[in-house]
Amino acid sequence: MSDVEDFRARARAWLAEQATTYGKEARRGLSVEDDLALGRRYMAARHDAGFAGINWAVEIGGQGLTNLHKVAFEGEEMAWGMPVVYFGISLGMPVPILIHYGQDRDWVKERVRKALRGEEIWCQLFSEPSGGSDLAALRTKAEQDGNGWKLNGQKVWTSWAQYCDYGVIVARNDPNVAKHKGLTYFWVDMKAPGVEVRPIKLAGGDSHVNEVFFDDVKMTDEQRMGAVGGGFGVALHTLMIERYIATDSAGFGPHLDLFIDLAREIEVNEKPALEDGRIRSAIARNYAMRSGLEAITARAMKMMEAGMQPGPEGSLQKLVAVRSRQRLSELAIDLQGNAGFASDPHAFVKESWTASWLNAPTGRIAGGSDEVLLNTIAEKILGLPQDHRPDKGVPFNQIPA
Amino acid sequence: MSILYDEGQQAIASESRRVVEARSDKARALALLETVGAYDHAFWQTAIEQGWTGLAIPEAFGGIGLSLVELGIVAQACGGSTAGAPFLTSNDGAAAALLGSENEELKAEWLPRLASGEVIAALAFGEGQSPLPSRPLVRFTAAGLAGEKPGVPAAAHARIAVVWALAEGEPALVLCDLTDVSKSVIEGFDNSRGYADLTFAATPGQVIATGAHASALARDVLARMAVVTAHEQVGGAEALMTIARDYAVTRKAFGQQIGAFQSVKHRIAEMYGLIEIARANCIHAASREGQADFLKAAAAARLSATEAYDTAARDCVQIHGGIGVTWETGLHLHMRRARSLAVEQGNMFFWEDLLAGQLTGVAA
Repeated sequence: MSDVEDFRARARAWLAEQATTYGKEARRGLSVEDDLALGRRYMAARHDAGFAGINWAVEIGGQGLTNLHKVAFEGEEMAWGMPVVYFGISLGMPVPILIHYGQDRDWVKERVRKALRGEEIWCQLFSEPSGGSDLAALRTKAEQDGNGWKLNGQKVWTSWAQYCDYGVIVARNDPNVAKHKGLTYFWVDMKAPGVEVRPIKLAGGDSHVNEVFFDDVKMTDEQRMGAVGGGFGVALHTLMIERYIATDSAGFGPHLDLFIDLAREIEVNEKPALEDGRIRSAIARNYAMRSGLEAITARAMKMMEAGMQPGPEGSLQKLVAVRSRQRLSELAIDLQGNAGFASDPHAFVKESWTASWLNAPTGRIAGGSDEVLLNTIAEKILGLPQDHRPDKGVPFNQIPA
Repeated sequence: MSILYDEGQQAIASESRRVVEARSDKARALALLETVGAYDHAFWQTAIEQGWTGLAIPEAFGGIGLSLVELGIVAQACGGSTAGAPFLTSNDGAAAALLGSENEELKAEWLPRLASGEVIAALAFGEGQSPLPSRPLVRFTAAGLAGEKPGVPAAAHARIAVVWALAEGEPALVLCDLTDVSKSVIEGFDNSRGYADLTFAATPGQVIATGAHASALARDVLARMAVVTAHEQVGGAEALMTIARDYAVTRKAFGQQIGAFQSVKHRIAEMYGLIEIARANCIHAASREGQADFLKAAAAARLSATEAYDTAARDCVQIHGGIGVTWETGLHLHMRRARSLAVEQGNMFFWEDLLAGQLTGVAA
């Protein structure tokens, strides 16, 4: 057994022990607050068991293992429905970037430990009303203020900000230069005076994203990460850092097996649904797509094992999987006829076709919209030209609003 | 699980692509479209010289003894250039059928000649719309084979055929010599495929397998050919994507490269997605030969590769605008091949139902 497989077996055994306390069944019906509290306890247990910060350096408080170990653990963990959703962004991007750029190393180590144990949560303050996909269009201002900085403006779509202790933020320090050149990157204390968080209720009924307002929020220069004016580069680094993550060919929705189980119980026009050609076609097509994504993942893992860089086709996972989850969820609701109207607002997205369908649009927009992902594939992989960009090279304050 | 190509397989990929590209010729391919009952001899000669004809046939029978993985790699290269004959797939399918037989004499008689490429074989399984009817109408009795197999690929040029027939109420795979069989060559949209209607009348044959053994073998052989074809489809789709990309960065309209327009670049990016999914399914399926999940893997490869090639053919022509629909530009070579390969080895209705059956345990 390879080292990774041995690690995977240990992880599986540990997760199986934790499942009754922290898993899907333990979470059923909990309020968000209670679920978060359970999640914090799970994170502490995970840290104690040596499964936290798996691919991070030992010096900083990680396990010093490889990306492959991390992906193996996450793949196993996903199957149990553990309450980790609150910590995914925190540990995925802001904290790794803090490890890379944070200036006071002792302070960084303390943050890392608390973040790994779920005691503190970090958010990522990038998107704004004026720019989501177009990150460099952001307007939040960071002005020099004595030896430090003063922050004014608004962020939006910030996941879990209402529970966060810290955040990383990109702000505009200079509006007189081209838009991506006048940005600087900081960490910010979410409990500081002048920070206001207002949850946004989403179409699916939950409120995990927020508007965050900054009104004369003071930051020291110690909070700056990277050079003044170098914020766009650090932001890109942030988005690249989490390259090795567990994938889900179900697009983080219900598995195809659940669709088959549903269809097994249903008749279409008084004949078994599983004998209906349209349903059979949907099942076959969905399987073919998912098996392709899974084979891409399997090959990427093998390349990592062999010390090679996985191919760029891994970038297809979210684009393809979430889109198809949206369609399959629609079909699952159709399939049930009038019985499909019922909906439990607290159901898990991975178990409920309605919850999956209602939340699928978020999946197609968050973390890179379908359109942005297609642009990235076209430009970075296939070498196609960028779109016409009228704001290119124009000082930010001269771009028509 | 899947596999990564090892060094030897990567060498086969680059070498087969180099050879196929160097020796294929668009003018020749276009001429073949307008000639009924002909195939590209230069291509088949190349396949023989390169040893591709015996690639997956055991060394004991004169082959090279490699696997479906390597044959798939070569098929992908051939697909990129719309190779002018279907025999790589059909000969390997016939060899696979023979290898599944218990008749050692039959193997010894035909396998070496298939491996050398001296003999061309066709597989006559389908009837009507079905590529593998559960109760074929062609009968095999003491008097020989009787009945008709319509539109059999490679049949126009084949010396032998493996025939899916009913023998005393049981399914059977029967090998027959086509020398005295009536062939009606079909004039079609992709003439180098050698489609012909075969009419058997007291045609002598030798049994390869009967009963449940024949059913399982026929299905495995068809799945195997579907995996080879899926590789060919991926090769074709990939070629079209490259052509589309190259055109999109060269051609200008409204003062910029057309590839800068999202309507164009997203079409090409979508092609990339379909191709990579199909490629991953193909590599996986080829590596599952002989395993319990081979049928599922083959069906997934077949479905995704057909979708990739069809979409690439449609969209590559569209991206070219008017020049894309001319005879001389030749994109229709791929458009035609995408369609012929979509039907050979079973249309989507067959593979969707087969895969759904494997996944749900419920027959259509």
